[in-house]
Amino acid sequence: MSELMKVEGLRFSWGDNLVIDSVDFAVKENELISILGKNGAGKSTLLKCLNKILSPSQGKILIHGEDVTELDILTTSKKMSYVPQSITSNFSMDVFDVVLLGRRPYINWSVGENDRNIVSKTIDRMGLSSFAFRRFDRLSGGEKQRVIIAKAVAQDPDLFLFDEPTSDLDLKNQIEVMKELRKIVSEENGKAAVIAIHDINIASRFSDRIILLHEGEIISNGKPSDVLTPENIELVFEVTSRQVMGEDGILRIVINDEITREK
Amino acid sequence: MDHLSRKYEDKNRDHVLKIFLLGLSTIIIAIFALGQGSSVNLDMLTVAKILLQIEEGNEIQRLILWEYRVPRVVFAIIAGTGLAVAGALMQGALGNPLVSPLTLGVASGAALGAALAIFLDLTFVSELLSILWTGLTAIIPIVPVISFVGSDLVLNAFFFALFVVYIIIKLGSVRGVTAESYILVGIAITFIAGAIVQTMVYFATAEELSQLTHWSFGSLARVDSREVWIIGGAVIILIPKALEWSWDLNSLSIGGDEFAISTGVDPVATRKKILILSSLLTALIIAFTGMIGFVGLAAPHMSRLIIGNDYRKLIPCSAIFGALLMLIADTIGRTVIAPVVLPVGLMLSVVGGPLFIYLLLTNRGHH
Repeated sequence: MSELMKVEGLRFSWGDNLVIDSVDFAVKENELISILGKNGAGKSTLLKCLNKILSPSQGKILIHGEDVTELDILTTSKKMSYVPQSITSNFSMDVFDVVLLGRRPYINWSVGENDRNIVSKTIDRMGLSSFAFRRFDRLSGGEKQRVIIAKAVAQDPDLFLFDEPTSDLDLKNQIEVMKELRKIVSEENGKAAVIAIHDINIASRFSDRIILLHEGEIISNGKPSDVLTPENIELVFEVTSRQVMGEDGILRIVINDEITREK
Repeated sequence: MDHLSRKYEDKNRDHVLKIFLLGLSTIIIAIFALGQGSSVNLDMLTVAKILLQIEEGNEIQRLILWEYRVPRVVFAIIAGTGLAVAGALMQGALGNPLVSPLTLGVASGAALGAALAIFLDLTFVSELLSILWTGLTAIIPIVPVISFVGSDLVLNAFFFALFVVYIIIKLGSVRGVTAESYILVGIAITFIAGAIVQTMVYFATAEELSQLTHWSFGSLARVDSREVWIIGGAVIILIPKALEWSWDLNSLSIGGDEFAISTGVDPVATRKKILILSSLLTALIIAFTGMIGFVGLAAPHMSRLIIGNDYRKLIPCSAIFGALLMLIADTIGRTVIAPVVLPVGLMLSVVGGPLFIYLLLTNRGHH
């Protein structure tokens, strides 16, 4: 597996408030990485730095060996796509048109057959056909979230950057969306995903690797079973836990129902 | 073609048909409007025949038609088109449905210019131009042909409107400028310009007051035929430019700044270029017409109700709706108590306002 993205010595601060401090990691092709950490740990900020929404104060981000600061915004959007948790706007469009915006980097003015087909297939694949021509602003939170994920899939970037892609989804949709993303990353050549997420079990089940972020620094980076140890979880989330290996071979983290530290 | 693609194509075809029908009704109403006036009324067939030179018509008919009504109707179409497109662009770039061409303060700048010309006789713009032109005519003999567009009043209004456009350009280069900054600065400019005008009004004579009031009504009567073609030419150059940016506007207006970046659109640069273009369009028209704001708010929304928010269709549809609203309002204004001609700005609000409210209330949630 060759290296898709490399991040070296990344630092970002809002004024004097250091949010991300000397973060280094690499993303290989066909790899799905989850970033875990408590609220305010810098997960979203990190993703936004990667996609150039925010400019880091220090450090280097390379995609396929190229420095992202050298790439123009259109080229960047063909290589990676950031997916926010939700979008709110005063104007709306049909779901089909919103997913079509994923093809914006490739469309000059009129929508060609190829772009239209990609959108149509993506809508079908992500299970949105039944409301493809409903207005986006009339959808439920979960439906909206699936639509903006579909938009990113239609964009066909090498690297997906998801900010809590399952936060608004019910249990069944969480699993289905993650399965679909896992499939895209594993089966399509040269793709990868970095996902900021809160659900540690979803993360451990679908990720190749987990990056644990604490106060802007990476404190652990590796296989889910190596990272999600009771010690690490207690350090970051301040709760006790244990690892349980199910008969199905899936690692589960069970959180004990107590808060270990008084604030 | 799969069924989703087919449905998408059907929807687009339906929208294009609606835009086409709207355009057709605008042409028909324009021909009707050409026949209506305070002196000579002509039926549509006669108008069409004289225009197409199938029939000669008598000299008075030809004179009234070509010298008075054609420029006026064409200007109504141009002004309606330009203001409606400017409104649609500003709403999208600022992600705010309450925005109209008056929001950014361009029109207030124009009003200040007009007021300075009226009250203080400050017409340095035209004086400066006349010096420039005298110099230029010595070098380039063709300049007199295009010289002296507009009265002192209009030139002053245009100059001050351009000054506001300049502020908008400067604002666009400030780091961290957001959609809200533009709106707030626009409101501030409106307050400042308004206060200066009010101060002059406080000391004004009755005649000066009446002049300013007339300017602020919003009227199509202040242009001659040569100016109509010049403004029209500028509008025709600017609108296709806006169409080119349709996808950028779609991404920005639907998803906001971060979403726009993820689709390869630079929100700051996009907002800047679109606001410059739309405020230029506004300045160009408002300087000649005076305060006309409603068409720039209503026409884009009426279009959104009919064809949705895809700017590739929204820009042409708003343009046509703007022309249509302006034509209807002006024709009513010219005929309802003829020979008195009511200013189009008043008629637009009186006729268009209730129609707009009706459409909004009956179409909530559909398009």
